[in-house]
Amino acid sequence: MTTLLSVDNVFAAYQPGVDILQGMSLTVPEGGFVLVIGPNGAGKSTLLKTVFGMLEARGGIALDGKPIANLPSHEIKRLGVSYLPQELNTFPHLTVEENLKVGGWTLRKQPALLKERIARIHEIFPVLAERRRSKAGSLSGGQGRMLSVAREMIAEPRLMLVDEPTVGLAPNLAEQVYELLQIARRAISTSILLVDQNVSDALRHAEDVVMMNLGTVKAAGPVAEFGEARVRALIQECLLG
Amino acid sequence: MYSTELVVQTFISGILIGVLYALMALGITFIYSIMRMINWAMGEFYMIGSYLQYMLVAWLLGPDLWWLAILVSTAGVFVLGLFTEWSLLKPIFSKPPEIRSDYATVITLALLLMLRSLATGIAGPNQFTPGSNLPIVMVGPMPLAGARVAAFVFALVALGVFWAVLRYTWYGLALRATSQSRVGVQTAGIDVLRVDRVAFGIGVALAGLAGALLAPVFLVFPTNGLVTTVKGFEIVVIGGLGSIPGALIAGVALGLVESFGAAFVDSAYQNIYGFALVLLILVLRPNGLFGERGREA
Repeated sequence: MTTLLSVDNVFAAYQPGVDILQGMSLTVPEGGFVLVIGPNGAGKSTLLKTVFGMLEARGGIALDGKPIANLPSHEIKRLGVSYLPQELNTFPHLTVEENLKVGGWTLRKQPALLKERIARIHEIFPVLAERRRSKAGSLSGGQGRMLSVAREMIAEPRLMLVDEPTVGLAPNLAEQVYELLQIARRAISTSILLVDQNVSDALRHAEDVVMMNLGTVKAAGPVAEFGEARVRALIQECLLG
Repeated sequence: MYSTELVVQTFISGILIGVLYALMALGITFIYSIMRMINWAMGEFYMIGSYLQYMLVAWLLGPDLWWLAILVSTAGVFVLGLFTEWSLLKPIFSKPPEIRSDYATVITLALLLMLRSLATGIAGPNQFTPGSNLPIVMVGPMPLAGARVAAFVFALVALGVFWAVLRYTWYGLALRATSQSRVGVQTAGIDVLRVDRVAFGIGVALAGLAGALLAPVFLVFPTNGLVTTVKGFEIVVIGGLGSIPGALIAGVALGLVESFGAAFVDSAYQNIYGFALVLLILVLRPNGLFGERGREA
């Protein structure tokens, strides 16, 4: 399978001299679903922020073999990478329709294509069509997550970076979120790099797993190699040192 | 007893000046809603707008083309705002220290001192007034200074354009979205630093426009932005920091309170009435009439 994203020996920090990523490396294949797990503070969210250009990176990050490290976020987005942060990524005082339009910012000079994409989103998520004139802040938690994912789908990214999408959600809602990601994957053939603490549920959807600890890779491989017992043992190792 | 004529005249006078105050407040609150920083140098951009208006009318265009001078002055302050943001503020906002808004606010304080000193050094402490040959306008039975009425109409048009840009353009959508979530607009592929620059330019251009419009009324001198800036902040407190409708409504309310206070109580305390209104609002609604719009990240 062709490599879509490669992260090669990357270091990154919020404060100079305090590296959170310490030589992190991974790859995401074209069309793949890679799950990143690890204890708190391992650098999982930092990894996504660094790939998306929100933190300065030292090392190599490439999309389709072309370097993207330290490009501004809006340029990385234009190259086909989307980022769903942990928080609900909607604009509460804008309508659902306006939220989708913001998601289609990179298509603003192609109004016909944007209209087509929004219509497609309405087909996939009929509830968003019904509530198009409602303020996003009035949506339920599940609908808000749906709008977050739908907003990123408008640009039909080749790679979606998804950070803890189920944090704080009830189990039934969490399952809906995984289903949303699978819908996105099928509908627009996107690859997914998912960071999740909800390991047991996320493992059922991923194809490859990377376990991080202290800003680098602790273990990596196909999901079949990451049974619950092994994951538990690896996390214990991380925590106990 | 007070005559109906006086009440109507006071009301009209309050509305006229209130809309102009609102321009200033709108600039302050608009920059805050996007960049989460207070621009303390707003009065100096007002002052530059008034000097540009004076120079254009007195030296280049003449009083007949006052309206063109206003457009050029506003555009000039907009460009200066873009340059200021690019050279002084962008370097702070492009790095991720947690308190960058605080650093930026301190920079605007320094800018305030620098621009004011520069104006005093170049133009001296003298007061100037751009000539106006606009005739007295009769509003019903009330005679009103042409310059004031023209300023009011210009301000209304500017507010209408501002609203239309925010409501109907792609850039307006990006500005409204940025006021709610900076991370959200970045994930949408919007260059948030560019949005900052445009927002700062528009915000200070509103102050420059107010300065140009009020130049014939309040004169032109190095510290002429001080009083208007204070009133701008009063309006922001009354209307609610970050609220655009709040700035407009509170601007008119302040204009009316000052106008009625001056006409029916004592004109010597005109500036006190606004502060009394601020205190009242702080007691009753500490977040202002319209609170603050939320931002997610």
